Amino acid sequence: MSSPLSKPQIIAHIQKSLNYTVFDSKWIPCSAKFVCLGNFARGTGVIQIYEVQHGEAQLIKEVEKPKPIKCGTFGAASLQQRHIATGDFDGNLHIWNLEAPDVPVYTTKAHKEIVNSIDGVGGLGIGDGAPEIVTGSRDGTVKVWDPRQKDLPVANMEPVGGETRRDCWTVAFGHAFNDQDRCVCAGYDNGDIKLFDLRNMSLRWETNIKNGVCCVEFDRKDININKLVATSLEGKFHVFDMRTQHPTKGFASISEKAHKSTIWQVRHLPQNRDIFMTAGGAGNLHLWKYEYPAQRSKKDSDGVDVGVAGSVNLLQNVNLSTQPIASLDWSPDKQGLCLCSGFDQSVRVLIVTKLNVA
Amino acid sequence: MAQIHLSTDSPNTQQSPHRALVKQRAAMSGDAVFSLPATDFSTKVPVEHLDYDFIEKCKDVKYLEKILRILRSGEEGIYPHLIKFCEGHLEKLNPKSRALRKETPVATEASFSKDEWNQIMDDLRTWAEETKKSETLLKQEPVFDLLIEKIPPVRSSNSFVPLNEKSFPKQRTNSSKHVLPRDYQEWDKFDVKEECNKVDGVLKNDPPAIINTGHPNIKRAVDASLLSQQEKFLLANREKDKGNEAFRANDYEEAVAYYSRSLSILPTVSAYNNRAQAEINLQHWHNAMRDCQQVLELESRNKKALLRRATVHNHMGNFQMASEDLRMVLQEEPNNATAIQLLSKIERKLSDCLPKQQSKGKKILIEELEEQAEQRACPVQPSQPVGGEESSAAPAERGDMGNAQKKPHSRGDGGPHSESSNSHHGHWRGKGGASDKYKVTEESKVANGSSKRGSTASVQGDKRSGTKGATGGGKAEESVNLDAPCGALPPHLSRLKNEGNLLFKNGQFADALEKYSQAIQGYTDSGIDSPEDLCILYSNRAACYLKDGNSQDCIQDCTRALELQPFSLKPLLRRAMAYESLERYKKAYVDYKTVLQIDISVQAAHDSVN
Repeated sequence: MSSPLSKPQIIAHIQKSLNYTVFDSKWIPCSAKFVCLGNFARGTGVIQIYEVQHGEAQLIKEVEKPKPIKCGTFGAASLQQRHIATGDFDGNLHIWNLEAPDVPVYTTKAHKEIVNSIDGVGGLGIGDGAPEIVTGSRDGTVKVWDPRQKDLPVANMEPVGGETRRDCWTVAFGHAFNDQDRCVCAGYDNGDIKLFDLRNMSLRWETNIKNGVCCVEFDRKDININKLVATSLEGKFHVFDMRTQHPTKGFASISEKAHKSTIWQVRHLPQNRDIFMTAGGAGNLHLWKYEYPAQRSKKDSDGVDVGVAGSVNLLQNVNLSTQPIASLDWSPDKQGLCLCSGFDQSVRVLIVTKLNVA
Repeated sequence: MAQIHLSTDSPNTQQSPHRALVKQRAAMSGDAVFSLPATDFSTKVPVEHLDYDFIEKCKDVKYLEKILRILRSGEEGIYPHLIKFCEGHLEKLNPKSRALRKETPVATEASFSKDEWNQIMDDLRTWAEETKKSETLLKQEPVFDLLIEKIPPVRSSNSFVPLNEKSFPKQRTNSSKHVLPRDYQEWDKFDVKEECNKVDGVLKNDPPAIINTGHPNIKRAVDASLLSQQEKFLLANREKDKGNEAFRANDYEEAVAYYSRSLSILPTVSAYNNRAQAEINLQHWHNAMRDCQQVLELESRNKKALLRRATVHNHMGNFQMASEDLRMVLQEEPNNATAIQLLSKIERKLSDCLPKQQSKGKKILIEELEEQAEQRACPVQPSQPVGGEESSAAPAERGDMGNAQKKPHSRGDGGPHSESSNSHHGHWRGKGGASDKYKVTEESKVANGSSKRGSTASVQGDKRSGTKGATGGGKAEESVNLDAPCGALPPHLSRLKNEGNLLFKNGQFADALEKYSQAIQGYTDSGIDSPEDLCILYSNRAACYLKDGNSQDCIQDCTRALELQPFSLKPLLRRAMAYESLERYKKAYVDYKTVLQIDISVQAAHDSVN
């Protein structure tokens, strides 16, 4: 039994109370700053930039926008420019330059309804190939954008006319290990998870996990797809081993029950793809580590390869507040530094220790 | 008494009063509960089971979890000690049990020792400052327009991927009906074979059967020419991390690919080291050897590289080289468990093949003397390389000692049972069966390595650099020319030296002495300027003299050795011992002190000084 001190510890380093509802918070790459996105009580959106200094978060800039902002990503930005792409409640996709945030660098009316989730790939040295942004919306569509192409998405995944549209709650990029391959994974409110291959422009895999999918994430965007974690309502999350796809059974997975309520977010540690953190509706965080099985694939009765899922271990769990923690972001520069924000109108900077040993 | 009355429930009556009390309470409240069946959800767990002995004996994890749940809920009363006991037992059985998960509050300053806390805070502070600096630097750099051109074009074709809840086939036919207008740049991606296949009706993209076969093409090199040093460093590190992760998941091929990518951006010692380990796991011995050599070029005392090279040698059958590498490691870190283990295995293997040669020892000596005489006359001979790595001659050249040379021995072969009648050397020659390519690349690296190490004081370094120096001299003839006149001597002499070493190890000091003398003669005859080798030979001969009891000659040889290479440990040490045996304690003392100055860890010197 490991002594409690050798387990990773989660420390609440900075806690900042905000006067608006914050939906998303992200580290600005290559800096000690972070940005918070949300909406004021008066119905307008807000972008705030803070800097971590002397054990405190100091407000550097605040910008107000006409519509509340739901989500943002730096994934498609170059390391030098670090523009943030945001989706707002009105279905617009904007890309802002935080040095001059008055006018967006790129703007388009992406969806008819709120943009629930956004992800980017190809920037920051992650993923070869063109920088792209994917957005998923309540109108049931998932669209992929390239900042060099105005108005029109590069790919659009939508239900055929006549089919019922399910809200898309989450999207994620993956499999971007060379400049042509890309995969987008989308999770819907009825439990559907769909994996689209952008190279072939086809649906590669889909499954249903019975409860609405709150968050999906690949363990790393820029490798041959390895693992996918999907979290859902009712406190369950699934880890899929994506290396071996069986023609009928799909991908092997394990599921784990935790948090006792909705698991809002899952985020992998950028420095170690086998460690991830889940954030729950009761204001708690769980830190997990995935272990690979001895053999990642085996032959089933028909002689076809089928994957074998490993196991997850709980490394640490802490309770931060009583309200759900809606967003979680690991710092890409410093291992163990993490940012989370919740519906208790506060944003916290956490330090997780001993991740090397874990 | 109430106790006796109630304790008829359980058969174990020999308990501490405390336990009996607890049981009594449990039993009593059990009575109370039984009268209220409605709230009794613990129908499956009778109250008697909420008991130390039962819990201890129970092996069923699920049942224990149930018991724990009931105890925690406090329905039967609150027994904190029992709860802890149950938890402890459950942990022993199943440490990963969900019931053991506890919500802890977030750690704060109070949960750490002062030192740890300060460390964490300082770490964060330095990081914040550094990042600010690098950020300002980043902002000042001009934006590279060239970089923008290098990005692939916008993904072509506005294709709609209709989302069906279930059907794959429907969607397939949908997309194949429309021939969407394509972008010119698609011609860049035009794949002739694929198109032919499509035309022939071989549609291999059945959506259900998209199975990930094997490893997709990971480009082995990354074009990082336009990136700044900082970005290169970041990118190289990231690729290396990816490699590490793949390694941990046992995907060694992938790991090698990522390490290669990292190295193509920025060569680093750790990336080479890691790639070497991955190649070892894949059993690509030559690649692993190449990588180890790279590391040792950059950092000649890198322990991991030495250990890994020793492993590779071991598998390739070069036991001598392996043991030398291991000895180097042990010099620096005498407690290295892996090194010790591996070394003992190798020694055993070495000693296994030695007895074979022992018996033929005498006979071969004579043979060799003759052959050597021959050789001195016609110094054409290519010869038995030591440990293969150093042969300056190509395998074809190993023409010889009058023995029909067979194909170079297979690598990794246990060697000692070589077919060559010259089994005395076969031991070393066998390991030489490496491919030409490998040797040629090795040579250049070996030469570099030796030039770096030429000045070390350690004798092992000397020994190896000596042998390499020998080939360094002979490296001049890289061509596969059988008639090269001068290249043969150094390897020939190093062979002599190794024979001497072997004899010495066997305790045949006189013979060893002879060998060394011959080697020294050979050196002086050929006029090769290789002080390290000569120094080693003298030093070794001195050791032989010492063992024979001939202290005078020993001192003489040591002095000569020290003339060639001052401050080399072994000659100093031996000279000190020789003086001691001659009772010239002052001189001995001086020499021991010198040794200690050079290397404070030589135990023998310490003892003798006292």
